[in-house]
Amino acid sequence: MRAFRTRAAALAAGCVLVIALGGEALAGRDPIRTVAVPWAAAGPGLPLGADALGRDVLARVLAGGRELTLLALAAAAAACALGVAGGLWAGWSRSRAVRTVTALSDLLLVLPLLLVAMLAVVVLPGPSAVVAGTVLGGAPLTLRVVADATAQARHAGYVEVALARGERGLSVLCREVLPAHAGLIGADLGQRTVLAVQLTAALNVLGFGPPPPAPDWAAMLRENLPGIGLNPAALLAPAVALALLAGTVAGLSHVLAARP
Amino acid sequence: MSGRAAGQAVNGRAPDGRAPDGLTVSGLTVTGPDGAPVVRDLDLSAARGEVLALTGPSGAGKTTVLRAVLGALPPGLTRAAGRVEWDRAPLSATRHWRRRHVGYLGQDPSSALHPLLTARAAVLEPLRALGLPRAERPARAERMLAEVGLEPAEFAGRLPHQLSGGQAQRVALARALAADPDLLILDEPTSALDPAALATAVALIRRRRAEGRSVTLVVSHDGSVVTGLADRITRLGAPPAPSAPAAPVGAVRPADRITRLGAPPAPSAPAAPVGAVRPAAAGPADAVLAADGLSLDRPDGAPLLGGVRMTVAPGEFVAVLGPSGCGKSTLLRALAGLCPVRAGRATLLGEPLPWPVRDRSVRALRALALVGQDPLAALNPARPVAAALRRPLRLLRGLDRAAASAEAERLLAAVGLPADTAHRRPAALSGGQRQRVALARALAAGPALLLADEITAALDAEAAERVLDLLDGLRRDTGLAVLAVTHDEAVAARADRVLRIDHCTINDRRKTTDVR
Amino acid sequence: MAADRARLGGVLRLIVRAGAPPACASVVIFLLAEALPGDSAVVLGGGRATDEQLARLRAAAGLDRPLAERYADWLAGMLSGEPGHSLLTGRPVAELIGGRIPVTLTLAGAALALAVPLMALLAWSAVRGPRPLRPVITGLVVGGAALPQVALAALLVALLSAGWRLVPPVSLLPVGVPAWSRPDLLVLPVLTLALPAAAYGAALLRGAVADAVSRPFVRDADLRGMSATAVALRYVLPAVAPAAARLLAVVGGGLVAGTAVVETLFGLAGLGELLVSAIGGRDLPVVQAVAMLATVVVGAGLTAADAVAWAVDPRGGAAR
Repeated sequence: MRAFRTRAAALAAGCVLVIALGGEALAGRDPIRTVAVPWAAAGPGLPLGADALGRDVLARVLAGGRELTLLALAAAAAACALGVAGGLWAGWSRSRAVRTVTALSDLLLVLPLLLVAMLAVVVLPGPSAVVAGTVLGGAPLTLRVVADATAQARHAGYVEVALARGERGLSVLCREVLPAHAGLIGADLGQRTVLAVQLTAALNVLGFGPPPPAPDWAAMLRENLPGIGLNPAALLAPAVALALLAGTVAGLSHVLAARP
Repeated sequence: MSGRAAGQAVNGRAPDGRAPDGLTVSGLTVTGPDGAPVVRDLDLSAARGEVLALTGPSGAGKTTVLRAVLGALPPGLTRAAGRVEWDRAPLSATRHWRRRHVGYLGQDPSSALHPLLTARAAVLEPLRALGLPRAERPARAERMLAEVGLEPAEFAGRLPHQLSGGQAQRVALARALAADPDLLILDEPTSALDPAALATAVALIRRRRAEGRSVTLVVSHDGSVVTGLADRITRLGAPPAPSAPAAPVGAVRPADRITRLGAPPAPSAPAAPVGAVRPAAAGPADAVLAADGLSLDRPDGAPLLGGVRMTVAPGEFVAVLGPSGCGKSTLLRALAGLCPVRAGRATLLGEPLPWPVRDRSVRALRALALVGQDPLAALNPARPVAAALRRPLRLLRGLDRAAASAEAERLLAAVGLPADTAHRRPAALSGGQRQRVALARALAAGPALLLADEITAALDAEAAERVLDLLDGLRRDTGLAVLAVTHDEAVAARADRVLRIDHCTINDRRKTTDVR
Repeated sequence: MAADRARLGGVLRLIVRAGAPPACASVVIFLLAEALPGDSAVVLGGGRATDEQLARLRAAAGLDRPLAERYADWLAGMLSGEPGHSLLTGRPVAELIGGRIPVTLTLAGAALALAVPLMALLAWSAVRGPRPLRPVITGLVVGGAALPQVALAALLVALLSAGWRLVPPVSLLPVGVPAWSRPDLLVLPVLTLALPAAAYGAALLRGAVADAVSRPFVRDADLRGMSATAVALRYVLPAVAPAAARLLAVVGGGLVAGTAVVETLFGLAGLGELLVSAIGGRDLPVVQAVAMLATVVVGAGLTAADAVAWAVDPRGGAAR
């Protein structure tokens, strides 16, 4: 049952990711060319109608997730890698320096992620700001979770036995602690990805994303809000796409976290 | 008083065939999540003024019966059949009824106190349900505290964390008795209360019985206390047989563990006194391990063990007995180099044994192997058995991958596991199988001394027996010495010698003059 | 005596914990200006100023002084409520902010008033609600917490505005009209702010509630027959309160930051929208002042949370 749920969640998230990343190539439509009157309703050849500038909404939805998804994945991977490394270290060696670092990272947790990212936008280009925001706001959380798990694993039989046969700390961390917590770390990576998707979408809506006319789910929301009365699909399609991306990844993360 | 006249032999109806006033349970059957009965067709009754004791081994469903009577079965259990009656009327024990009529003292009363309520406020809680005038409640609460031996002026204002364990138990007892409940339930009072508090409880229960108004239900696995107290004793039957070893582990283990604890006490270890129980076969020169003057601290720096002196000869099985928390496990972990030693020295195979594990030679690392008490945590859940076995073979014996795999198969056969175990992960093994894998891993490096830390504590009786048989066989075949710490007399019964931890030290007098 | 000292220690810790985040943030926010390629003199000079003119502008603005000294000045300005003038319009920053506070305050206040009870309800029913409903509510909470705010905004507009025609899709509040006088304009922004905050908070609170309900003294109270309400209010609530208060502060902080997105999307002229446009125009004095204000609000929320935790359970660290 549990294995089935994990597989189903992984399949759903995988499908959404594949479409988000490779949708443009799959569809073979041009997302930038004007093909109809602005906010034309759905019709033959235009299954989702047209947007504010008369461009094919379906083509833009299929093409508009690639950069956003890649950026979110990269930011989440960076945050998670940093958090896992710090967490393993902090959980393993309980020195004063570690406590200081942990306290400092707790301080970061207090600041809203979006505010941090918006301040980063002042000095960095949009994508780097997403990475900075995700790392600053996400890595401390990962660090805490992994540090707790590591501190517990320190007293697990398999770790003690490994130490008693003369293995060094680093080797124990990589060979024993890390594999034993793969599910936990996978779940954490999922959560960071969701966070990064939310952050990217927010910054792109605020206009700090890729410049027009590049298709982007979040920017489409803002572009097509005024046309809600004429072609609701132009607003709904990117919203649903964003919701599916974040929702399936969160679901997978939830299932992974529930595993023993 | 007809119920009491019926005595202990009759379990159920009063002589006139009518259900008496008080509590009557008939035909109670409770089933578990899989539909298997946990409690089957149980009858009990207790008239007002009576004390009914419910005994039986752990795992026999005593607590389940209590919860069924209280109408608060934990999720997963259902009352499949039976009637519960109170004063001859069917009882649906709602929260409201429980609040008005029941005093309950759980298995761990000190943790059952609200951490933010003072002793007085805790005892006031049941009084509120009683409908006593508000002004009278505090005086009654303080009187109740005084009755359980807590001076109200000193203790009434304290929070649970300002009370000792025994004092907290008394507060919980006062709370259970405060409203003079019609039905008082004590769940395992012998393990829940310290002797002084238990004596208070027994005195108060006797007084309740004399008043002849209320029912007291005592649950205990320990018959000696209840026989003097109870009017009737109902014994619950033996628990269901332990599950097959191949069954998936998660859900089954706790029950197995309870089964084992509930088994009749094992014959005690040969001759309790410290020192030579059997004639020594080995001289000091060929001792596997000799320790002298070992002193260990708790992590917080408080002394734990001091002046430990012991030797282990090749092929010998030495058991260290002692109460929990006395530092048995710490001793083994220190010998394995996992925790610091304040003072003392030891020799292993004639060579000095350095303390931090990283200073030890490969020879020393190979000679000592540790097996822990928790088979759940003993193996890395992410790695198949084969990987767990190959690692020490490659690291300590320098085998290549193919040779290590072949050797791993041989090790599995040696501990009596089928070859296909190699590809399984720990989650697919039973507790006994895991402990065997842990043993196989310990044997991989070809140790001279096995440090066994309560290796049977988490196993059911049958699995424990088989693991101990296996150890005997290994000692016979390979000359392996075993140093086992345990609180289980059944393990100690197999040992060549038994050392007892006494006043925070171990003094193995046999070799007093030899250890240098 | 010892109790007095412990109490003093508790108060001191509260003060330090309240001050630390804004103090650290103030350094970072001040340094933002240093990290930019040009300083405010370049902006004032409009790109055509000569080196000599720039040097004069810098001296006039005090930009040639040591960093620490300028930080002290800047901080003093912030604390005294005079954070300088906007680089783009030249108007005092305090005036800009003051004009925008009512809208954001109304928005955030209404969202918080909706989110907090919703969060408590969701977390409670996910743990102790009717058994068959629990997985559904858990799914709702996990999904809701994952949903990007902007996607929710679009879905709400499509449903409430285009679908049922209940409220106008864009708020575009006329200048000078107080926000609370047009509640119909606030429905979408408030829902967009409150729902994700409630779901996110509930997802975290669920764990704390589940922990509290499984504590032995709560299970014991159930067995003793305490009424469900009494168990919830007298047993579970105090056990959850410290964690819940901290969580609420974090959720509140996220909600304050979220006003930027919501105000921009729905066309409300609040602080968040001011921050976004100031960032777009690299109007640093405005950015710094708004960011400091947000940080102080978040810090104050955390202090209040600590105070609640401490009032509920004065045992402090010993309790947890």
